[in-house]
Amino acid sequence: MSEPVAGTPEPIARLIHEFAKLPGIGPKSAQRLTYHVLRAPAEDALALAQAVGDVKRRVVLCGECFNITETDPCAFCADDRRERTVICAVEQPLDVLVVERTGGYRGLYHVLHGSLNPIDGIGPEQLRVSDLVRRVEAGGITEVIMATNPSLEGEATSMYIQRLLLPLGVRVTRLARGLPSGADLEYTDDLTLARALEGRQDF
Amino acid sequence: MPARPRVYRAEAVILRRRNLGEADSIFTVLSDHEGKFDAIARGVRKAKSRMRGHLEPLTRSRVLVAQGRNLDIFTQAETVSAYRTLHEDLAAGAEALYCLELVDRFTEERQPLPELYAFLIGVLEALERGAGASATRHFELRLLSILGYEPQIDDCALCDGRLPEQETLLSPSAGGLVCRSCRGAAGGGRLVSVPVIKLLRFARRVDTASFVAISLPESTASELQAALAELVRYHLNREPNTRRFIEGVAALDRQP
Repeated sequence: MSEPVAGTPEPIARLIHEFAKLPGIGPKSAQRLTYHVLRAPAEDALALAQAVGDVKRRVVLCGECFNITETDPCAFCADDRRERTVICAVEQPLDVLVVERTGGYRGLYHVLHGSLNPIDGIGPEQLRVSDLVRRVEAGGITEVIMATNPSLEGEATSMYIQRLLLPLGVRVTRLARGLPSGADLEYTDDLTLARALEGRQDF
Repeated sequence: MPARPRVYRAEAVILRRRNLGEADSIFTVLSDHEGKFDAIARGVRKAKSRMRGHLEPLTRSRVLVAQGRNLDIFTQAETVSAYRTLHEDLAAGAEALYCLELVDRFTEERQPLPELYAFLIGVLEALERGAGASATRHFELRLLSILGYEPQIDDCALCDGRLPEQETLLSPSAGGLVCRSCRGAAGGGRLVSVPVIKLLRFARRVDTASFVAISLPESTASELQAALAELVRYHLNREPNTRRFIEGVAALDRQP
């Protein structure tokens, strides 16, 4: 662990220490960021402090879909023009924005906040799984779209939830699996290619 | 141990993944000749990565690995078996993940275990063909014996005395079955029935395919499971995480 050089003023050492906790920031980068802040105009530095504080103070989880939001319910859940019979379940809040960007989806969302990882001990109780079941039980939902990552963990999550929702009689769908644009057939893994072949479509 | 070459080939089963930074992942694998090791795959989380999918946990792949300064680096990967059923059937997948967790927890890095590798492949293939939990039981027992924890099940583990054909104490701390007169010195364990003792003995002599071919009454299967789970827990000093997932999936099967 590289500590700041002895004699570094305490506030500086403290900021270096805080920056170094960020992902991808090593001790050298933390030092550089700190001295950058030190040289920057006071209002810039205070704006940064304010923004960091606001993120923790003003951002909450939506009580319906568990997306991160400034208002509860979030903008998606509060929007009357959206289809209220379809829920798209995703792993992370960022995934909501990605699905939204396609412009092809007008239903509601549900953020699971992760995926099942049995080996690491991440079970359904650590995710927002029962909250999704509760939403479907409350009625009015005709379809749940599982939009988890096409990874071992994501697929396990989708299959688990599908089984959980089975007795409720709701339609559960999942995203198609196939080749990403720009991909190379030669390097495609067997599972993806097999599913792409099965899901082939007429021109 | 001779230093490994700068670039080396291996065949491996991917045990687990940890994401690193924007697009990299570190994979823990069990390989045919290098034993278990960690290596990094750069850019593997990008949609266009050529290794993506070939390094998915619960996949058997041929890999090319380059020595790195800290971590070795995967430079090529090609699937040998994708184990589609294990990826699409929750119950079969849960059993397979449990086996992978045991491998990860029981082995040391870079300790060559070709026998365990070959055996793991056999079990994954059996599970892929629908063998179910009984393949896992065979795996637990053989894993313990390959790693030197084989329970003594022919004679009493403490006095080497002959064991009469009756319900007998299986004591993890004594290292196997314990006769009636040694019970006091055994330090805990569980009583196992004659059919389970015979199964344990049979399991040593046969491959997974023959072991899973025996159909067991539900009570014997669950007794065998509990006995092996206790041995695993004792040697691992903890409960494997995946155990809970297997139970959760089984609970789904029971729901109306």
